[in-house]
Amino acid sequence: MVTYLIRRLAQMLVALFLVSVLVFIIIKLAPGDPARIMAGVTATPETIENIRHEFGLDQPYPIQYYRLMKKMLTGELRSLTYRAPISSLVSERIQASLELAVAAILLVVLTSIPFGIVAAVRRNTVLDYSVTTASLVGISIPVFWFATILMIVFGVYLRILPISGRGATLHGWAFLTADGLRHMVIPTVSLASVQIALNARLTRSSMLEVLNADYLRTARAKGLKERIVILRHAFRNALIPVLTNVGIQIGGFLGGAILTETVTAWPGVGRLMFEAISRRDEPLVIVLTLLAATASIMSYVIVDIVYAFIDPRIAYD
Amino acid sequence: MSAYYLSALWPGAGHLHVRQSKTGIAFAVSWLIHIVILALACTRGMLFGIQSGDPLHLLPSVLLWSALALLWVGALISLGRRMAKRGHSTRTYWSHAFSKFGRDKKGIVGISLVGVALILALYSPFLSPYDPTAMDLDNLLEGPTWTHPFGTDDYGQDILSRIVYGARIALGIGACATLINMLWGGFLGVIAGFYRGVVDSAVMRFLEVINSIPYLVLVIFVVGTFGSSPQMLVITLGLFGLYPARIIRSKVLSVREGEYVTAARALGAKNSYIIFRHIIPNSMAPLLVVTTMQIGINIIMIAGLSFLGFGVRPPTPSWGAMLQAAQQYTVSHPTLAIFPGLAIMLTVLGFNLLGDSLRDALDPSLSM
Repeated sequence: MVTYLIRRLAQMLVALFLVSVLVFIIIKLAPGDPARIMAGVTATPETIENIRHEFGLDQPYPIQYYRLMKKMLTGELRSLTYRAPISSLVSERIQASLELAVAAILLVVLTSIPFGIVAAVRRNTVLDYSVTTASLVGISIPVFWFATILMIVFGVYLRILPISGRGATLHGWAFLTADGLRHMVIPTVSLASVQIALNARLTRSSMLEVLNADYLRTARAKGLKERIVILRHAFRNALIPVLTNVGIQIGGFLGGAILTETVTAWPGVGRLMFEAISRRDEPLVIVLTLLAATASIMSYVIVDIVYAFIDPRIAYD
Repeated sequence: MSAYYLSALWPGAGHLHVRQSKTGIAFAVSWLIHIVILALACTRGMLFGIQSGDPLHLLPSVLLWSALALLWVGALISLGRRMAKRGHSTRTYWSHAFSKFGRDKKGIVGISLVGVALILALYSPFLSPYDPTAMDLDNLLEGPTWTHPFGTDDYGQDILSRIVYGARIALGIGACATLINMLWGGFLGVIAGFYRGVVDSAVMRFLEVINSIPYLVLVIFVVGTFGSSPQMLVITLGLFGLYPARIIRSKVLSVREGEYVTAARALGAKNSYIIFRHIIPNSMAPLLVVTTMQIGINIIMIAGLSFLGFGVRPPTPSWGAMLQAAQQYTVSHPTLAIFPGLAIMLTVLGFNLLGDSLRDALDPSLSM
């Protein structure tokens, strides 16, 4: 187990390194001279040359890359537009994204899995058709539009939920205050919507695969209650693909609920990413992209480790 | 013989006469739709741009006539085949899949939704009541009325017309990006699955790196860095939408173990021959399913990017940009956001239903 963990972490670092190289290459391939942009329209060639030297843009690419990474890892990298160290900018925002991601994942797990199980167990009934149809519609709805519709219905017409923002916070957490909780509803539901649909479909098809297995017949023949047969024997075996999807999604939510956070003005990392790209804030964009990649790669690793606990057939050595 | 005369009068009527009702209805309805569009184009004087004098009306007119000709000839040919085959039917894989697809309600709804979007995109000048960029300054931000069925936006532009023209952006960019997804992803999938070994691990590592950045983050990052234009959208979505590659690879891995591949190799066939003659045709089914779903994903991505301001910019009519424009009026004019969103949802739903049903028909093993 320990050697497996070490190997997995090493692979993670390699993947992160490759991602950072890819991001660096894309930035360097971009049209336009960053020194010229920073200097402004009226700058003389000398000024541009000075800026280029000051920011190390006249160095060969490997050295530029090395300096960038060094600055980033030591937390010295500064945002161009916010005029602040990126580390403090990000740590402010990450709390908001984290609570949104956790709330959305909880909602996904608590709704999609029961729906998926019920649809599979009551296969080809009205219930099954409603769940499958609803989930097909669900994956076809753009999240940003869904959020807008929720805002219109609950915020503008019914006036029971606030339209945007994060509301009051306690120790930086919105979910600890009543006002913050009410602000969380629309972003959480819209962020979770597509995943609820996807995950319900996945749970259903994964359950259908195990429902005809011999060990279920054995369990029933033993006289076990149907509820126990379904939940303990069938569902545990159908859990793996569902868990993979949920795990990957946590990483995805953390890295960029860009659309949801932008529509609902939720001050998280996704919205920061949107602002950074709109303002062409290169260092901030690089850091946030790598952060998203880290979150997503880490979720893959964690999912792999959790497998071992829920499925004794999977052994790591 | 009378079936042929009926079919010549109204494509599809012949099929109905010989009780091929499904094919018959499909032909008859498509013919009806095209005749109505033709009538619309004629009465509005737009056909070939003769009266309107607009060169942009030329291409849809040519398309419309070709579609009519194709439907007419196609109905006769299909009828001839049906008549010849009556009594002894040969069931191939594709004909089996086709008839299975025809019996699936999901697929019919899907193909109808996609068909509507396609017709809106192809014949937008004939169908849209106004010029999508014409401003009616007396009627800004109007709700639905008789003159503007879906209302007008903050520039007084007719929303219905913009939705009709928006189908061009959605389907045009979506289809081009998906074509690149298919060729590039299919290429990676085929070489990885066929050659295995070093090539396979190189391709898989590459996919892992791309996959480890959330897709939307990656696309926004690239489009934001290089600047947004329709061409850039096509290239970015095309190059980084690599979901098809994995599916194709796993299909190729199983296809290449087939006995016909071993036989071809024993006969001394070259790799290129085996790939084009055996591997690709036998991997078509999942490719088709994934492609259909991928168009839906790409349409949502294009709308999302335009919504954030990184995609298609106004005044070019696009559904995502319309939603972005509606954002500032969420409180005062909430109806603005409804129709463009519905257009996106129904189109994507169409592709998803179609893909779902194609999968059931072609390859049930691809469950998800």
